Amino acid sequence: MKRNFMDRVIDSIEWLAAIFVGLVAADIFISVVLRKVFNTSIPDSYDFGRLLLGILIFWGIAATSYRGTHITVDLVWSSVGPRMKRAIDIFATLVLMFVVTVQTAMLFDKVRGTWNDNVLTYDLNIPTWPFFAIAWAGDVCAVVLIGIRTWRLIFQPELLSSKPETQANE
Amino acid sequence: MSTDAVAVLGFLVLFILMLLRVPVGMAMGLVGVTGYSYIVGPGPALKLVGQTSMRTVTDYTFGVIPMFMLMGAFVSISGVSKELFKAANAFLGHLRGGLGVATVIACGGFAAICGSSVATAATFSSVAYPEMRRYGYPQSFSTGVIAAGGTLGAMLPPSTVLAVYAIITQQDIGKLFMAGILPGLLAMAMYVMTIAIIVRVRPELLPAGEFKPWKERFKGLKDVWAPLVLFAFVIGGLYGGVFTPTEAGGMGAGGAFILGVVRGRLNRAQIREALLQATRTSAAVFTVLIGALLFGYFLTITQTPQKLTEFLTGMGIGRYGVLALIMVMYLVLGCLMDAMAMIILTVPIIYPVIVHMGFDPIWFGIIIVMTVELGLIHPPVGMNVFVIKSVVKDVSFTTIFKGVLPFVATDLIRLVILIAFPIIALWLPQRMG
Amino acid sequence: QDKAVQLKLSSWVPAQHPLNPALQAWADDIKKASNGSITATLFPSEQLGKAFDHYDMARDGIADFAYVNPGYQPGRFPVMAGASLPFLFANGKSGSAAIDAWYRQYAAREMKDVKFCFAFVHDPGTFHSRKKITVPTDIKGMKVRPATSTVGQMITALGGTNVQASAPESRDMLERGVADAITFPWGSIGLFGIDKVTTFHMDSPLYVTPFVWVMNQGKYNAMSPAQKKVIDDHCTTEWAEKVASPWADFEFGGRAKIAAQPGHEVYKLTAEQTEAWKKAVAPGEAQWADSVKKAGQDPKAVMDSLKANLVKYKAAL
Ligand code: NA
Ligand code: NA
Repeated sequence: MKRNFMDRVIDSIEWLAAIFVGLVAADIFISVVLRKVFNTSIPDSYDFGRLLLGILIFWGIAATSYRGTHITVDLVWSSVGPRMKRAIDIFATLVLMFVVTVQTAMLFDKVRGTWNDNVLTYDLNIPTWPFFAIAWAGDVCAVVLIGIRTWRLIFQPELLSSKPETQANE
Repeated sequence: MSTDAVAVLGFLVLFILMLLRVPVGMAMGLVGVTGYSYIVGPGPALKLVGQTSMRTVTDYTFGVIPMFMLMGAFVSISGVSKELFKAANAFLGHLRGGLGVATVIACGGFAAICGSSVATAATFSSVAYPEMRRYGYPQSFSTGVIAAGGTLGAMLPPSTVLAVYAIITQQDIGKLFMAGILPGLLAMAMYVMTIAIIVRVRPELLPAGEFKPWKERFKGLKDVWAPLVLFAFVIGGLYGGVFTPTEAGGMGAGGAFILGVVRGRLNRAQIREALLQATRTSAAVFTVLIGALLFGYFLTITQTPQKLTEFLTGMGIGRYGVLALIMVMYLVLGCLMDAMAMIILTVPIIYPVIVHMGFDPIWFGIIIVMTVELGLIHPPVGMNVFVIKSVVKDVSFTTIFKGVLPFVATDLIRLVILIAFPIIALWLPQRMG
Repeated sequence: QDKAVQLKLSSWVPAQHPLNPALQAWADDIKKASNGSITATLFPSEQLGKAFDHYDMARDGIADFAYVNPGYQPGRFPVMAGASLPFLFANGKSGSAAIDAWYRQYAAREMKDVKFCFAFVHDPGTFHSRKKITVPTDIKGMKVRPATSTVGQMITALGGTNVQASAPESRDMLERGVADAITFPWGSIGLFGIDKVTTFHMDSPLYVTPFVWVMNQGKYNAMSPAQKKVIDDHCTTEWAEKVASPWADFEFGGRAKIAAQPGHEVYKLTAEQTEAWKKAVAPGEAQWADSVKKAGQDPKAVMDSLKANLVKYKAAL
């Protein structure tokens, strides 16, 4: 039951990121059509495109981190026994948690800076910090999710599928 | 500690962390920032983390990655790979080895709309493998031809690895895509020749399939118009100067979506699945990109690329000697890493050496992607082989590698041809103006 | 005996750009003046970080000195944006002296996170296009890659569309018809191959892009008094002009080169046409004044001071 709840949370996070992929594609597609057919453009479509891209990536990283589907080198891992595998997994997750926590803290600093410095979009002069803040929230989710993953790896390994699927990343 | 010692130690720790399965991007980021902090100070190092992360994910040019991934996802989920294979098979299946040739051609067709070699291999493991087995092809050949055919995904445009190479080296993505076309077609021709030779030497190995009447052949052709139109639209638009690369990706994704919906091949669940696939792979790739940039700033501060250039050019083995050395290094790394991670990690270090020695950057992009792709199929380990094994459960690694060996040999010959005749890669991009 | 100080200088233009040797010469002079106690390494081509981040890089100590285009972050440096308003600067050399003398008064407040060293401009840029542009109404319906956000606002106001692209991408944009025109200085046209994709060149000093060369404050504070003096002696109006000069010469020389090429039309504007342009861009100045007021400054005083300095240094139009 508890696991189902967690899975639903992850699914929602991932789905949120996926919607932003669709939005970026729509932004580009519509701008090109407008330019070619109607000789006009969406104001700030360039800035919107890249700011939405930022949101999609950080939210995507949250889901990727929980699922353990980052790009990894599995040479050693795949050739050792289950106990060693678990030890490696715990070590790797702890490092991952440390790195993402530092990254999240420093991204907050960046969001705050963008807010203080009044950085605006090119055409419409809209503040950019809210976009940065939404992207940052994705990284906060990543920290929480990796925390849960680490806890489960150490104390409730039966709740995580022991073998994350290999992924095609290229 | 001297900066040289810090750099060497950095590489050492990086490899240990990666072998302990710390995600490649995170390991690069951690080592890069720690090393940077040791040399410049912790304050600037930490600021660099926030700045680089945010700048990378909001860089419009990088949008090309999720866009081409989305296009590939829409296309493969709407069942195009099956149609391509069916059409090719209708024409060739009745010949000895014909199913193998059909697989190569269908892989090439699929590669023309999908940017990833691993995805191409995965797709055809479920589409072409069962057919080949049904007609009595051996396991080794069936998986081998798919592993090799899969590498076309990264060579024929669009190609995510080529796009990333172009961004890192500030080369024109469009030109790199064009540069991949002739080497990709050459690869297809040489794979077909390899199959012909196998048929010649061991005719009993690859039996003929059944003859399909012309009616069925034309029906098959009618089904493959959609991917052809999409390829012509996207790559033609890029070549003809209608779109920028990121736009071509967005138009391709939009086009694939519209074609899929109009032809009734994409329902809501499938659209969702395609969006999710693109998100997952993009998140993983961007993690590596951010890490590589952080690691790169550390290398800049230690002046590693300059020192490596001096070292390699001072060895007195000539430019082709250095090139050979670099390629051997890539083949070894191919045992450890996937193609994207290898390109992102090594190109910033190797590229200055290549430019310094007067090699063409576009040509080198093709050479390096070919070498890296070779790493995905050559023994003892390779990503394409892993993926095939995850789809085809009852086959052993040894069997796959046995089947892939003739194609590895062909690829090595192709590599030599491309080094001897750079014009094969450069002819099309030079005509772009 | 002063402690040895090593400086990381960061510039985002490519290695072959004329600004880099000028910055190197500036650094060499510092080394000489400090009797070798201050040495510097110049990192061109975004090796230490992206162009857009250079101000923050100097603030955070990622670079000790950084070459900054304040216009990359619209809204952040409202006073400086005034210098990018159209039709102010006649040339790049004395224009650099003028902008430096002017901006010195505001730098401590507007760029308070860093130590301001000097400000400069390139030689004025103009429209290079596929269709001839003579009067402001020609912009209507055109797609333009603007050099600065101020020029961008002018394009929007005149009914055109902005296309964003980095300098290296610009040629592609023009070739693909993503853009019909670009605002660019003259010499760089050849450097980025834009002369291959545009035919018409309006011979009018339309705009300049302001730049600053700034230092990490902590690095400065940690220096000995003698070293501080060396730095101060190299952060002057004279040095602003000196560093900007090779680049200004390069851009200035570009006009003659383009004019000499067959198939290119370099055309002057009549007095009425110039007047029409000045009138058309006036609303941009009002918009700029608003943003300066919001930042707590008096836009009229700021603009008057800029114009006075331009006159003083013989760089006014
Ligand atoms: Na491809
Ligand atoms: Na391998």
